[in-house]
Amino acid sequence: MTAPAPHTGPAVEVQDLVFRYPGAADDSLRGVDLTIEQGDFTAVVGGNGSGKTTLCKTFNGLVPHFWSGTYSGTVRVFGQDTTETDVAALSHRVGYVYQDFGNQLVRPTVHDEVSFGPVNFGLPDWRARTEEALDTLGIASLSDRYTWQLSGGQQHLVALAGVLAMRPGLVVVDEPVAELDPQRAEEVYRRLADVNRRLGTTVVVIEHHAEFVARYCRSVLLMADGAPVWHLPVAEALARTGELAAHGIPAPQVVRLARAVEPEGEVPLTVGQAVGWLSARAARPVPDAGPASPPEAPAPANAPHPPGPPVVAALRGVRHGYRTVHGGLTPVLRDVDLELREGERIALVGGNGAGKSTLLRLLTGLKVPRSGTAEVTGTDTRSVRPAELADRVAYLYQRPEQMFLADSVRADIEMYPRGRRRPDTDALVADVLDRIRLSALADRDGRTLSGGQQRRATLGIGLAMTPALLLLDEPTSSLDTATRDDVIAMLDALADRIRCVVVATHDMHLVAEWATRVVALGEGRVLKDAPPAEFFADRELLDRVRVVPPQITALGTALGMVPPPLTVDECAGRLSTAVQEAGA
Amino acid sequence: MKRTERDTLSVEWVKLELLRTAYATRGGLLARLDPRVVLFWYVLMAASPWFTHNLTVLALLFALAAAAVVTCRVGPLVVGLFVFGLITETGYLVTAAWFFDGDLTTVLSLGELTLKLGTVSMASMAAFVSLDPEKLSDALLSLRAPALVGFGVSYGYRMLPILVDEFQTVIDGYRLRSAPPASRGLFGWRVLLRGAKITVYAFYPMMLNTAKRTRTTVEALETRGFTYAMVHSDGRRIRLAHLRVRPLDLAVLAVTAALIAAAYALGAQYPTSARL
Amino acid sequence: MSSSTAPRTTGSPPPAAPRRSLDPTDLGSAQKLMVFVLSMTLFGLANILTEVLPEVKLGPVELSVSYLAFVPVVMVCLFHPLYAALGAPLGEIVFVDLLMGDFSGFAELEGYIQLALGLYIAGSLVRDPLRRGRVALAAVVAVGVDKMLGGIVDIGKVYVGVADAEYVEGLAESVLLLEGVAFSTDLLISGLLFGALPAAYLAPRLHGRIEPLLGLAPRDPARPLRLRARISARFLLLGVFLTFVAMIAAFVEELDANFGVWEPGFIDQYGERFLWIGVSAALIVLVAVVLAARASARSRAARAGAPR
Repeated sequence: MTAPAPHTGPAVEVQDLVFRYPGAADDSLRGVDLTIEQGDFTAVVGGNGSGKTTLCKTFNGLVPHFWSGTYSGTVRVFGQDTTETDVAALSHRVGYVYQDFGNQLVRPTVHDEVSFGPVNFGLPDWRARTEEALDTLGIASLSDRYTWQLSGGQQHLVALAGVLAMRPGLVVVDEPVAELDPQRAEEVYRRLADVNRRLGTTVVVIEHHAEFVARYCRSVLLMADGAPVWHLPVAEALARTGELAAHGIPAPQVVRLARAVEPEGEVPLTVGQAVGWLSARAARPVPDAGPASPPEAPAPANAPHPPGPPVVAALRGVRHGYRTVHGGLTPVLRDVDLELREGERIALVGGNGAGKSTLLRLLTGLKVPRSGTAEVTGTDTRSVRPAELADRVAYLYQRPEQMFLADSVRADIEMYPRGRRRPDTDALVADVLDRIRLSALADRDGRTLSGGQQRRATLGIGLAMTPALLLLDEPTSSLDTATRDDVIAMLDALADRIRCVVVATHDMHLVAEWATRVVALGEGRVLKDAPPAEFFADRELLDRVRVVPPQITALGTALGMVPPPLTVDECAGRLSTAVQEAGA
Repeated sequence: MKRTERDTLSVEWVKLELLRTAYATRGGLLARLDPRVVLFWYVLMAASPWFTHNLTVLALLFALAAAAVVTCRVGPLVVGLFVFGLITETGYLVTAAWFFDGDLTTVLSLGELTLKLGTVSMASMAAFVSLDPEKLSDALLSLRAPALVGFGVSYGYRMLPILVDEFQTVIDGYRLRSAPPASRGLFGWRVLLRGAKITVYAFYPMMLNTAKRTRTTVEALETRGFTYAMVHSDGRRIRLAHLRVRPLDLAVLAVTAALIAAAYALGAQYPTSARL
Repeated sequence: MSSSTAPRTTGSPPPAAPRRSLDPTDLGSAQKLMVFVLSMTLFGLANILTEVLPEVKLGPVELSVSYLAFVPVVMVCLFHPLYAALGAPLGEIVFVDLLMGDFSGFAELEGYIQLALGLYIAGSLVRDPLRRGRVALAAVVAVGVDKMLGGIVDIGKVYVGVADAEYVEGLAESVLLLEGVAFSTDLLISGLLFGALPAAYLAPRLHGRIEPLLGLAPRDPARPLRLRARISARFLLLGVFLTFVAMIAAFVEELDANFGVWEPGFIDQYGERFLWIGVSAALIVLVAVVLAARASARSRAARAGAPR
């Protein structure tokens, strides 16, 4: 196998591409025409199910070599027709990092994993390639670790290194942000930008988050219904806020703010640009907090302050940890005291491994603390079985397919009430299906639904348990923004049924727009317990718990707004007087 | 009933077991050899007792295998389990023989079989405790075993913690969402039945979810040249380049062969037979 | 659609028919690999479970779940039986024996061949995974073949390992007792309780749901495996069964020869009863096979007679 010859034309040329999966009723790709230039950093955006992933799988020949289906049209990668070369040959030119990258890692140690491709192809310089890929991504120190010991972010970089070791001209990365916390996703993007700049590698990312697109990409390809709508330079693309929003990709918050201030013309893409853009228009925050902003010092009414509403659940002096190889304990929670009260919407934040999921599991009774007590509605979780506690607590896992135990959505929702012989089961299930707007799809297996529908189905499972305390693990991960807003709206609507909702999340938009109380975990403790505005104002803490605040909050902080705004509207409101003054 | 934290069948438990296996090589003699030589040594030892009915030879070979177990620093737990198994097995055979009106001949005959099987077991303990799974798969690959065996080992390493994690999640889902039995029943049979049912039901989501994972994995294998390497041998050569037979390897084989020959020679001098 | 990627109006006309439309039942190497890996992974996981399931030991009689047979049986019923059957036993070796540190050399090879053969035969007997009866039968056949082969190997070891085994009094009986008991309990627990029943429940539910996840077309009863595969599976089943019967017969002959020596009484009956459990288990399998063969012959005849 020889190294591919240098090529001067575009990296990818697609003409009249039509593809249909075997047995599917509709074409997944219908008439795609597209050119991606060498050295570009392209974002492929579009709603769930718009054909983004299928399109990218045509670049490395998985479609149609691996996925036999109905295929017509041509895809040329660096001038080569993908139907005329096999997947193995194409892998020298195109690398692919999957959304579920964990399943892409097939070797036990990092070094083995990265050298897997070059060794399989019998490349004599496999050692050099491996070192080079590890160095490029700054993970040479992980070389001898087992891949299952790594954090999600490190695993993603290893998957990327395995791909880069083939020295491809094109790298496709499918939704890097979906399963990583924001800081680690940031790290992946920085490395990708570096590879793109230094090695001239063409990068294609599939991305829902307009903010990452704005910061790192050069061009944007909008997909809808299996075909591109347009492919434009990033600034031009993101200025089309209306079109993006219509396809489920709301523009970055700074863009929306700029549009609120000035309906036409150029827009800033990053927080830094926005500060300059605003000052050029003499828009400054009002010195005294505007009507929309709560006063700074005393906590607002929704902050936890005794004696408040009744306590729904409590953790007292909780310690918990896991066994290590040598039989010792790795502490995850060292000393946690927490009271969850009626009517609260609590966001639990912290980096991967901070103990968010452990804390939730302690509240379900699936685990009991090694010391200290966990109480739910006054019952010590040690004294009852988890199945009995399930009357009061519902826990929804991060990955919906882990919640789909039965063969239809209806069966999953009714499993709990039917099992407990609730007399009103039929009415309850019908009502829940109605509320989550899945009555029409109730007899399908949950796995066959779209991402947003899956989340709604899991919410339905939780609702049918009629719990006092609802626990959700990352309910918005890997959803496009429109679907995410839909889920947030649904969470809003639950307020009347459930006494207290706790969400463990990396999604700071969810925190800003939905939560009334933020509990930040780190170093095994509660580092901060405050309303969102106060939480986002503490920049030193944000770094410690590995949190990237929403763009609008970061902008507010950069402009000196105290407390920072949580939504675009709030920020615009607090700016408007200044803008009006400037205009006057 | 107060519940406390347990440490079995959890992801952590599996990870610990995996690490123990991966690092189980306590640096015994065989661990320092080329894995192919270790396999050859095992074949030599495992085959040696089947060519004789002479109890003297068999006892000597048994002792030789026991010495190998000590040299290879097999963990006390493994040895303990083996000895326990050996004793109960022998005990049972003696009882059964007596049941069926056998005499000392029968017992000795059965003892002969136990000696042979014991020798083979100890040889395999000594050999495979000294090989971590990756080394073993390298050895098999170099002996032209199918590439899928080597892949299976690596993939197992990779997936086992993840799969157990997912299985635990699904089981937890059933524990929470399906109704607990109203009473335990005689000997807790209702609890047992529910446990068995949940185990079966849990495979419905597990099979579907694993199928989805497998799709990504096999796609990734395809793009990274796994199937290419099954046809072309360059990759195999690189992967096995680190395997090298050194004088120590040959010396160990030679000494083992000499000891086996000595056992046979000694047995010919002082024969003992099961037939009285 | 905006101007930048408007459909081109120039150039050659689009091809009249799709360039490529592959037969979905055709299994590419990737699909084979996928079935293999899936089967390996799931059975490996199932074996981790049996590792931690409790066992009840009553003297030599071990009441334990030796494996969760329904997992690989469902695989061979739903997918191509050969690749599923080759993958599953490897899962046991890799996940439990190697990774959990319990590898036993040649014995692994025996186990692999026994189970792979059992599963392949079982899978080849099933044409429509929606028919619960056939799936259940497949589970019993898979476990039966595996355990029969295991018995043959064990008995073979006694013959090879013990000097003049046929003249040692009580030896044949002891071994036969042990094997008979193991065979019956395994067939009951692994074959029926954790084989036939769950497989018959799961296979129809997964049919049509799991295949698309792998990009495969579901097994279609109207387009069965090649006849040759099915016939060879039956031939293999017959072969295994006959060998097993021959082995038992040889031992029973030993017993006959020794009957005179035996003192009639409680002990003999006890032994005989256990012997009969083994033999009747084998008989059950034989009857089942005959019924299966007849049913399939009937349905084949029906299909041949049906208008095209």
